[in-house]
Amino acid sequence: MIDLGLLLRIFVTFVRIGAVAFGGAYAAIPLVEQEVVGNAGFMTYDEFVDLLALDEITPGPILINSATFVGMKVAGVPGAVAATLGCIFVPCIVAIALLFLFRRFKETRLVQSIVLTLKCMALALIVSTMVKLGANAVMPDASHPDVTHGIYASAVMCVAFYLMHWKKLSPLPVMLGCGALNVVVNMLGM
Amino acid sequence: MANEPQRLERLPSRLLALFLATFTISATANSGYAIIAVMRDDFVNKRKWFTEDEMNDYIAIVQSCPGPMAVTSSMIVGYQSAGLLGSLAAVLGVIIPPFAVMVLVTVFYQAIVSNPYVTIFMRGMQMGVVAMLLDVCIGLFRDATKKSKAYPLAIMLLAFLYVRITGCSIMWLALGCGVVGAVKALLVKREVEA
Repeated sequence: MIDLGLLLRIFVTFVRIGAVAFGGAYAAIPLVEQEVVGNAGFMTYDEFVDLLALDEITPGPILINSATFVGMKVAGVPGAVAATLGCIFVPCIVAIALLFLFRRFKETRLVQSIVLTLKCMALALIVSTMVKLGANAVMPDASHPDVTHGIYASAVMCVAFYLMHWKKLSPLPVMLGCGALNVVVNMLGM
Repeated sequence: MANEPQRLERLPSRLLALFLATFTISATANSGYAIIAVMRDDFVNKRKWFTEDEMNDYIAIVQSCPGPMAVTSSMIVGYQSAGLLGSLAAVLGVIIPPFAVMVLVTVFYQAIVSNPYVTIFMRGMQMGVVAMLLDVCIGLFRDATKKSKAYPLAIMLLAFLYVRITGCSIMWLALGCGVVGAVKALLVKREVEA
């Protein structure tokens, strides 16, 4: 028998997370911790740390991964469905609402100015993520800097950028190539 | 915003294309930005459903929404290509892979976490993601500084500092940017009238 009350609690928890998860995946993680470990008590902190490792190695948006994982743990597949739908509920409505406003008023100077400002903000957010990821890729362990690894990682990034920006290759094969290359390099013991 | 090329493809094939595109993207990339970049490549460069400028507008809208960017951008791109059904197809495409993988992973998760090659592969992909983000940034930068330079650069700098230094919620930043953009438009208008 499916416990509807529990499913509703899972759904509501993730509606709350989804509604305030601004600023991308890495900003969402503390929110999930607060709601799932703290407020709802669905998981222990250790389970939450496992979840972070899984988020890193599984495809797809981190928030969806987290929702599915927590839902599965608490109430099996129905729980996973409730959590996933919960976390996209508010974002989908907001996205469509903003799109309508944009389409309706996009010729006005007011909206053009707002969208330009938001574009600049988007750029700043992406640069910030890029810096964080880049630093982490060049120097995964800040207490033990490894120069060889740093040079290798920088070179991979430069070549990847060259292929995407000038050679106009699709990002996906380039990224998969980077992953495969890293496995090969590690197997050769470098 | 019905572009000529979109009308050439019939609705079912467009829905299928949307679903397959977001499905593939979501199954292989694990950050929202990666998903946006792949979408741009697919829908702007290959299918020509949108122009580069339209896609940049959508990125700005997506950045002001809460929640996973992959989902909100699928919602918008889907709607612009094929209405609400398009949104549905695109969002299903984007959530099914992580959902299915996570359900399996929960079952087998010890074996996966302890496999070092999985982690090494993901680390390598991260390098590719950095390069791809740079590519996205260049496109956005060119677009944002097309008409004027000083105002966009100032906003970029302030937003960057806000994120890096304060670490406060992006919601306030998005609201603040909206207000600043509105005020600027009103001020400029007044100058023109005066």
